[in-house]
Amino acid sequence: MDLPLLSASFVAFALTLYVILDGFDLGVGILLLFQPAKASRDHMVDSIAPTWDGNETWIIMAGVTLLAAFPIAYSILLPAFYLPVILMLLALGFRGVTFEFRVQSKGHRRAWDVAFGVGSLVAALMQGLILGGLMQGVTVQDRHFAGSVLDIFHPLPIISGITLLFGYAVLGAGWLKLKSNMSLQHFASGSLRVSAPAFAVLFGIACIYAARIQPCVRAQWASHGIALACLVGLFAIAAGTLTTLPEKNRNVLPFSLGLLLFLVGIAGTALIVFPEIVPFSVSVWDAASSSTSQGLVIIGAACVTPVVLAYSAFAYWIFRGKTPENGWEA
Amino acid sequence: MRLDPSILARIQFAFTVSFHIIFPTMSIGLASFLAVIEALWLKTKNPIYLQIYRFWLNIFAMGFGIGVVTGIVLSFEFGLGFARFAQMAGPAIGPLIALEVLTAFFLEAGFLGIMLFGLNRVGSKLHFFATCMVALGTLLSASWILSANSWMQTPAGVAIHDGQLTVVNWRHVLMNPSWPYRLPHMLTAAYLTASFMVAGVGAWYLLRDKHQDFARRTVALGTTFATVLIAGQVFIGDIVYGTMLKHQPSKMQAAEGFWEKQSQSPAPYYWFIIPDQENQRNRFALGTPVLGSIWLTHSLKGRVEGLKNTPRELQPRMALVFFAFRIMYCLAMLMFAVGVASLWLRFRGTLFKSRRFLWMLVFMTPSGIIATLAGWYVAETGRQPWVIYGILRTVDAVSPVPAQALLSTLIAFVCVYAVFITAFLIFTLRIIRPRACGSSGLRRSVWFYKERIPAVRARQPETIGG
Repeated sequence: MDLPLLSASFVAFALTLYVILDGFDLGVGILLLFQPAKASRDHMVDSIAPTWDGNETWIIMAGVTLLAAFPIAYSILLPAFYLPVILMLLALGFRGVTFEFRVQSKGHRRAWDVAFGVGSLVAALMQGLILGGLMQGVTVQDRHFAGSVLDIFHPLPIISGITLLFGYAVLGAGWLKLKSNMSLQHFASGSLRVSAPAFAVLFGIACIYAARIQPCVRAQWASHGIALACLVGLFAIAAGTLTTLPEKNRNVLPFSLGLLLFLVGIAGTALIVFPEIVPFSVSVWDAASSSTSQGLVIIGAACVTPVVLAYSAFAYWIFRGKTPENGWEA
Repeated sequence: MRLDPSILARIQFAFTVSFHIIFPTMSIGLASFLAVIEALWLKTKNPIYLQIYRFWLNIFAMGFGIGVVTGIVLSFEFGLGFARFAQMAGPAIGPLIALEVLTAFFLEAGFLGIMLFGLNRVGSKLHFFATCMVALGTLLSASWILSANSWMQTPAGVAIHDGQLTVVNWRHVLMNPSWPYRLPHMLTAAYLTASFMVAGVGAWYLLRDKHQDFARRTVALGTTFATVLIAGQVFIGDIVYGTMLKHQPSKMQAAEGFWEKQSQSPAPYYWFIIPDQENQRNRFALGTPVLGSIWLTHSLKGRVEGLKNTPRELQPRMALVFFAFRIMYCLAMLMFAVGVASLWLRFRGTLFKSRRFLWMLVFMTPSGIIATLAGWYVAETGRQPWVIYGILRTVDAVSPVPAQALLSTLIAFVCVYAVFITAFLIFTLRIIRPRACGSSGLRRSVWFYKERIPAVRARQPETIGG
């Protein structure tokens, strides 16, 4: 059995869940910056409060699986993306504590809300920066990172950072359509009208630019031409539908289309990166730890992940439906 | 001045991990405490327990939040600051941490939402189950992470070929020689931390003559737990000491302030020293004669060994280890004294009246946190210069990241964490402050359970701290 391939799939699975789950709650956080009404802001935070912690856990899962199964990739990628990773962690931290602090705060809730929004925004931006940095390629020498920590501040990562920002805003707005009552529906639709086309256009620009500057990306486009073309088509249709959706449309559709956009994007990214795990120099198999370590991770993941998914789904189910106007505890 | 990346990486890790451990220590203890309180509530239906639950849930929630976000940092910091360590140790400790995430983090995260916001949605029985699952999650998490850290202290079950580490026996990695003792040591420390916090706040209310029922129950519960736990901890601590003396003699020699290869018996017990690492001696030492031999060898004439048995370049810094150990040790003795005093006062029936004792409890509120931190400093500084004891030195483990980047992110961490701790302290003190007015903030974070028993509703208690 190809253990490294299985572990790599699990990393990809955890990352995908992270991006779509924390994606919508980061998106709600970003949109919080544009919501002037205090009651509406409370309502927005309430909609994500019971589940954010579980959403965020998936990035730790991806990170430590990388450490366990691909220690070489882990020890190359983290120094390579040292600055954006740390900024992301600090931003996620700010956002996380604000969940608990903003409700305790009496006079300064606005300030905490700004911290929440900025935290979400910076985290999204940094994640996009890292994605762009991967597409740009990482300099590796003798199994160690050999580039500069400033390599990340180039046009491609920056475009990709802004793209992801809008992408998360799409997911966040979709989530609000799904979970909120009338007063926020209008706000959510407005956000979608801006963020959806911006995301689609920027995503297109980022793809073209990546292919222009990185020959390996071009090579992958050439070898997976048909699959990637299908994904592009799907992306375009979904983005088009989302942009032209009438405001009073069914509540589930915007969020589902947002998810579809992300799944298509992730699938495309995976096609381009694979079989590399450190693009474009170290393959999944070259970075893998010994089979005993891979084995333990895979067995653990295979046994426990279904249970995790079951009770995570249960937690979502408990808080299903529209978020109550006065919070969950009312 | 030239900045040394290895020093900066270590300071950054030490700072972030020290800050982090404060919160899990509280969360592990408080989660189990909350489970006990909710069980008492379900059993007796006395609303005072719901009130105690609500009160401590608030503080738990904030602490847990900080613990989560500062913990995420650590799971990436192995690679950020210590890439060569991650590359080498990843195959051994990586799977342990991966299993921690799978079995513990998700469990906590999945049920935390229900614990905080779900009582009215799921009912009291399922809510109690959620509390228990969160508590279980904290215990599992501690087990895995102690296993990983103990493996770094007493590595086992691996083979090394050309600098690459392969696990040959998972059971030996997981149940490495120090884990079976260090795990209960840490768990007891966490429970002690929560006990003293709970008792301290109750004592404060008694001194202020506020919330009598709440205060008496929490002081009684807190001191009971603390008394039992500290007795156990002294015992467990002694076993940990013996284990570490066997596996890392230099750590314990530094902790006792001994330099000479073999002492002229009998050895004193040092209370205070000014060590001189350069000249391998103590510039000043204050101790009780013979007590060292009695304590360490359980005989009047036992000889003790010192740090000179270890080559100079492989010695830990004595000052750090010694003072951290003394702080932990003295706090443990204070806790023990409080436990004995509480038994005596209980026997006399003046547990809630002795103002001197109550002030002592207030003073001891943060004692568990400080002692736990000090204990971790003994464990980690005493292991130096190794990061994986006997296998990889810390200086060889550092990432290829420039010193400027490390310094600027260190400053960022200090600033952000300063905001966290300030906010945490302000909000915690605000919750604790007797009869703080304006409950709107609190009302949002902690649900009000819709009592379905009319008799209980009639006895709706006063709200504490909000």
